[in-house]
Amino acid sequence: MKTFAALVKREVLDGKNGYIRVPLILTGITLVLLILSTLGVGNISYSNGMEQESIHNFGDIMKLAADGDLSEMSPAIALLYWATTALTWVAFPFVIFFSLLGALYEERRDRSILFWKSMPVADWQEVSAKFFTPLILAPAAFLAVVIAAQLFTALYLSILMMFQSGPVLDLWPVGLMIRSWFTFFAHYLLWMIWALPILAWLLFVSSFARRMPFLWAILVPIVLIVVESMFLRTHVIANWIGMHLGGWQEAAFGNGDYHIQGPGDVMNAILGEVQMDGLTYTLANGQFWLGLVITAGFILGAIAMRKRAI
Amino acid sequence: MTDTVLDAPVIKARNLSKRFGKFRALKGVSFDIPLGRIVGVIGANGAGKTTLLNAVLGLSSYEGELSVLGFNPSKQRSALMKNACFISDVATLPKWMKVSEVLDYVGSVHPKFNRDKAMQFLARTKVPQDKKIRALSKGMIVQLHLAIVMSIDAKLLVLDEPTLGLDIIFRKQFYQSLLEEYFDEERTVIITTHQVGEIEHILTDVMFIKDGEVMLEANMEELTQQFIEVMVEPGKEDEARALGPIMTGTTFGKSTYVYKNVDREKLSKLGETRRLGLADIFVATMTGEGQ
Repeated sequence: MKTFAALVKREVLDGKNGYIRVPLILTGITLVLLILSTLGVGNISYSNGMEQESIHNFGDIMKLAADGDLSEMSPAIALLYWATTALTWVAFPFVIFFSLLGALYEERRDRSILFWKSMPVADWQEVSAKFFTPLILAPAAFLAVVIAAQLFTALYLSILMMFQSGPVLDLWPVGLMIRSWFTFFAHYLLWMIWALPILAWLLFVSSFARRMPFLWAILVPIVLIVVESMFLRTHVIANWIGMHLGGWQEAAFGNGDYHIQGPGDVMNAILGEVQMDGLTYTLANGQFWLGLVITAGFILGAIAMRKRAI
Repeated sequence: MTDTVLDAPVIKARNLSKRFGKFRALKGVSFDIPLGRIVGVIGANGAGKTTLLNAVLGLSSYEGELSVLGFNPSKQRSALMKNACFISDVATLPKWMKVSEVLDYVGSVHPKFNRDKAMQFLARTKVPQDKKIRALSKGMIVQLHLAIVMSIDAKLLVLDEPTLGLDIIFRKQFYQSLLEEYFDEERTVIITTHQVGEIEHILTDVMFIKDGEVMLEANMEELTQQFIEVMVEPGKEDEARALGPIMTGTTFGKSTYVYKNVDREKLSKLGETRRLGLADIFVATMTGEGQ
């Protein structure tokens, strides 16, 4: 356990640009934009249907909203906080992609593998640490930054609200916010276990590619897809990849009857039914289990390659 | 020589082979290396030194029988590494890590690493703790790596060209601290290097390798006694030739003859005698005449 913790710590140190700096920078940019927009546009008067005499600033909007249906307003606020961190999440898939692709490739390129191999650490331990760190710790780090950003946004808007004498407390749907953080992570995990065969493929490529792992990772599936469609006129591989990268959600949730009529319904669906639906759909799906078998194959392949690598 | 016959050898190889495609890098070598030795593995480029050491360290596959500290290196590398250490090449420490982070890492994965000891070694150098490896000079990187391996209480240390590209002062210090502060009867050190002259005084044993075969395995003391070079006085050349030299040459206008296993007293009558350096013994042995 101590060894595994040390390996994970090393992976975090190695990947700290992607895991920590990237979300910090992107979130920082978003927050600066948010502050600039509120400073510059203290008088929000351009929004749809808001060109009324009584609305001069953000505080007025909040007052107006608070007079309305609070059961819609709180979820709307919580969703707003998520929306402000969207830019951060754009980078996330890239961070995972390049972390996995470099995991077993860079150590051979810079020859540090000879140092790692001089330590009493088994190859399967190394490979597992290099697989799970980007999959679990990277999203945790991103989420931590995002949570901090959401709290900052709420705090900043609260201060703004005090000056504009709006309803400060309504900016803190704390329960909803906390639940949304946990739910987000749960949904991420579900998304990730579907994507496992794709992610394991990236790690496998990084274990054998002598150069240009990027091209290997991308070209092999593309060639397979093209060959299949040319000779068999089918799209099984493309569909399979699409399904594991997120397409499964359409089948899992597409038939659900969630009655989305407002932010409240969105929040309820996300926090409640959807997750359970997703999990039951996943566990009952043969393709999902097949994906796990393929994942195991790629991981074992990566371990075997690392055993022989110098 | 270890006194107890019961002591299992640190390395026991029987018919050890390695192929790369059609090329046979190791052609069924057999040897034993006991505890408490400093063994120099000497051979030309491509002779199979690194292939041999990689097999011993569990870094590559092989055919034949190989036991290192009782382990099968290709199957039990991580267990073996608790008691064996190696420096392959000079620049294998991760460049993106800070010195202190490397020490932290080794401290948490290696049960036999003594961090205090490493700090003592480093205190004598100019290696900065808070800098990344990338920022260190080649010499400092080697000092750091040596400080790490010398602070690991291992039975076997393998050094494959550990001082390549370093200047002479670093090289001298490297071997000096290895001999004075690390080596003892409970450890075995295996070294390969091209700078044979710099290590010959610390070696207890040598192994000559050529084209994937072990040509000679000998105790250093016994080996150097076998070879004698004589600077033959003018007029005694015929006499010298009659004793069957394995190599002849001229130095400063005088004829020199190299003999193997010829009585030293007999030779001293011919002229000034001296022991042959390891590099010359290697050349004499490998060119075929000395066998």
